[in-house]
Formats: sequence, structure tokens, C-alpha cells
Amino acid sequence: MKTFLARVRRATIVLAAVAAIAGATYASLPSGLAVAAGAAWSLVNLLLLETLVRAATTPGTEPASVARRAGWALGGMALLLAAGAWLLFHTPALWLVAGFSLPFAVMVLKAVSHALLESRAWRALVRSPWRATAVVAALILAAWWLAPSGSRGERAAGDTAGAPAASGDVAGGHETPAAEGAAEGHTEGAAATGEAAEAKEESGTQKFPNVITLIVNANRGAPWAHTLHFWEPVVFALAVGLLVCGAGFFASRNPRMIPGGFQNGAEALVEALYNFVGGILGPTHGRRFFPLLASLFLYIFAMNLFGLLPLMDSPTSNLNVTFALGFTVFVYVQYVGIRSLGIVGYVDHMLGNPRTVTGWILAPLMLPIHVLGELAKPISLSCRLFGNIFGEDMLLVGFASLGISMLSFTHLPVGVPLHAIFYPLALLTSTLQAFVFTVLTTIYILLMLPHESHGHEGEAQHAH
Amino acid sequence: MPEPRDKNGEPSALRTAGLLLAIPTLLIVSPIVGYFVGSLADRWLGWAPWGGIAGLVLGFAAGGRETYLIYRRYQAEEERRARR
Repeated sequence: MKTFLARVRRATIVLAAVAAIAGATYASLPSGLAVAAGAAWSLVNLLLLETLVRAATTPGTEPASVARRAGWALGGMALLLAAGAWLLFHTPALWLVAGFSLPFAVMVLKAVSHALLESRAWRALVRSPWRATAVVAALILAAWWLAPSGSRGERAAGDTAGAPAASGDVAGGHETPAAEGAAEGHTEGAAATGEAAEAKEESGTQKFPNVITLIVNANRGAPWAHTLHFWEPVVFALAVGLLVCGAGFFASRNPRMIPGGFQNGAEALVEALYNFVGGILGPTHGRRFFPLLASLFLYIFAMNLFGLLPLMDSPTSNLNVTFALGFTVFVYVQYVGIRSLGIVGYVDHMLGNPRTVTGWILAPLMLPIHVLGELAKPISLSCRLFGNIFGEDMLLVGFASLGISMLSFTHLPVGVPLHAIFYPLALLTSTLQAFVFTVLTTIYILLMLPHESHGHEGEAQHAH
Repeated sequence: MPEPRDKNGEPSALRTAGLLLAIPTLLIVSPIVGYFVGSLADRWLGWAPWGGIAGLVLGFAAGGRETYLIYRRYQAEEERRARR
């Protein structure tokens, strides 16, 4: 019994967390909080009941101990009732009751599943893997068959009642013909056009809801919410920066000769990066540029992965952030060029190292060519990173919306987590893009450094 | 800090791969950047469409030049490796 209740508690906590996130995302923040509060209330109530029953039924317990435990349990229940009354008046009642019912639903389902697993029919079903597979396939086919009909019905209803709450918000998605028609229809005046554009922006392709969009949606109209929404990528980028700094601090706070788990992992990562940078730039330059390049890799890697966490977003799926990174690299590479070559050497490099009359005649042509070549580098860096991470996010959103539309006939804010199968791919692209950005930055620095390996002794050192 | 594990100071395969990795995007992005810079010049100076065209041509030239320089560097490193 004790094990059963512990399992019910664990399952309820997980389910309540998921339901609260779904409620906060698809309905409103208070609704999500109400689900969580209802489930927590119910769990505490069950715990107190368990304490009371255990105190009363455990044989051989001192009467004083029984009275004390029962008193605690009854006092707790009184407080809980007061808290429940307060919650009932201050949170959406329906969502609160839904949260309150969760542990009981879990208990019923567990009991039903227990009975089902013990039944003869279930044993007969799972005796042969082919039979079980056939049943699962039949269930999937039935879901597929039902899903489009549910969507059709919902769309027909949605023409009058608005976009469907679940698939529209989450998927965020794709512009409906109705929205396009609305956008086209509002062409009478400037104000109307602005409204249509705003409406179109709202209904356009969106990413997964994150913690900032939830806060903003809960406080629509507040000026600070608008500002927060405007600075969303910067807030996430700063949060990731702080996380990376914090991880670095904790990894190096108490260094030991025989490192523990976290220090060991951090040292292995730093050593791998050091060898990687040194392998490209050579030992001397590698040591000099390692701090910047390793920081870039870790920061971009963490930013790319941040979007895979629930309620978070990848700052690198915003072009402003990636352009800022590319621009930083551009400025640093030019700085390295000026420091290594000197001002005269740098200008000479930009003019294409003219040494002959022909070279000087071509110098005015070489200057814009070289400037364009340098400008192309940060743009290629930023566009590649942005495109890959944004595309990865959109892939996940697309499949999540597909999973939701598969279960739209249930009219519940749940779906088949189809996007989960793309998480390994997202992990791979996140790592790969951070790696590519770092490799290319290293190469751009390498190309700006004086090149002394041609073996032409008479030739002055120059960059490419 | 210890020396990075570089095999006798030879450029690593990663360095070669990185050098070659830079080529495709530079070839694509340089003409685009050239065109946009040229278009900006058109807008400011009223040279349309010559600024955009000149920017495009210079962008292609810049991409080609960068590719040539990268390839020359790659070749020099290969020769150096062969000499060893």
C-alpha cells in the first residue's frame, strides 16, 4: 500500500507539472497555477490522511504518540481546508478542481491498469509480439483516421468561434486562410492596415511558448511586458551567459588534484578545446586566442541548447544575437590584424600588398574587394548560425503541432510528442553549429595573422 | 598551460578542413554583400542600377580572391608537409 501511494504521488507530481505547463501555455498563467495548486492541495491532503490512518492503525504504538500524530494531521487538515477555500475564491475554480482530481485520476488509472495487466485478455494479447504490434498499429491508424475528421470539424467551428485554442496557439502556427483573408481585407486605411499587420504578426509562425511569452501574455497591455517582450532574446542571452559563468565558477571554485565529476568534465572539455584551437593556430597563437575561441564555443553551444529546455528559447534563433556575435568576431579579427601587422601593414594588406606599378594601379580596385571579403565573413557566420538554429526550432514546432493536431479530436491541450524524435538531431546541429562558428572564427584569425610558412625568406611577412 | 597536442607543429587536418570550410560561404555571401553595399550606394548617390551591378561584380571578385588566398595557403601547407 505504501509503495502504491508513493507511486501515485510520483505520477501525480509529474502529471501535475505537465498539466500546469499545458494550462499556463494554452489557457492562462493563473489556470496553470490553479492546476498545480489543486494537485499540491490534494497530495498534501492524502499525505495527512495517510498519517492519520497510519497513526491510528499501526499496532503497538504509544497512545501519546498516536494522539500527537493524529493532532498534527487534523490541524494540518484544518489549515488545508482554509487554504483550499482561499484558492477557490482566488483561482479559476475549474482548473483548481482539475488539479485536485489528478491524484484520484492517477489512482483510478493505476488500479485499472493493475487489473488489466493481471487479466487473461491482456496476457493473451502480449503473448505474441506480432499480435501486440498489430493492436498498436491499429490504434495508431484509428488515431490517424480520427485526427483529420476532428480537425475538419474544429476548423468549421473555428470560422465563427475563432482559431482553435490548442493547435492555433501552440503550433502557433501556420497562417489560416481566415487570417490571410482578414489581413487582405483591411486595406481601407492606415490604422486598419496596421491592425491587420499586427493581427497577422500574432497569427504568423511562432516558436514554442517560453517563460517570457507566458509572463507577457499574462500581463498584456503593461508597458514593462512590452519592453520585456522586445528584449526577450537579450534576456535569454544574458541568462545563458550567467549560466556559463556560473558553471565555470563552480567548476574552478575548489580545484583538486584528483578532480571530481564536475571539475573533471569541465577540465576534459577545456583541454579538448585547447588542443583543438592549438591544432589549428599552432601552440603560440593557440594559447593567445584560446580564451576568446573557447568562450565563443561554450557560449554558442549553451545558447543553442537552451532552446531545447522546456519554457526556454535559443537566443541564437534570433538574427540580432547571431549578428552581434559575428560583428564581435569581425571587430576582433580586424583588431588582431592591426595589432599583428601595424596600421601601415594593415592598410597595405587591405590594398592587396602592392609592390609593383601594376599592383599600385590595381590597389583602388583591391581595396573594395578586400573590404567586401571582410564584410562577408561576419554575415556568413551570423546567417549560418541563425538559419540552422531557427530551422531546427521550426522543425520541432512543426512536428509538435502535427502531434497536437493528431489528438485534436479529444479537444484537450495534449498531443503526441512527435517532435521528441528530432531532439537528437537538434542536439547534433546545436553542437555542430557551435563548432563550425568556432572553426571559422579560428580560420579568420589565422588568415589575418602574418603568414610565415611559405619559406620565401626574402618576402616580408604578410597576412592573406 | 601545457603545449597543445600538435604533431610537431604540423597543421592539423582540422586546420585544413576549417580552411576549406570557409570557401563555400564566402563564395555565396560575398556577391550578396557586394550587391547590398552597391544598392546602398545607389540609394545615396543616385547611381542606380550601376552601384548594385558594380557591387555584385566586386563581390564575386572578393569571393574569388578569398578562395584563391585560402587555397594558396592550403597548398603551401601541403607542400610544407610533403617536404617534412
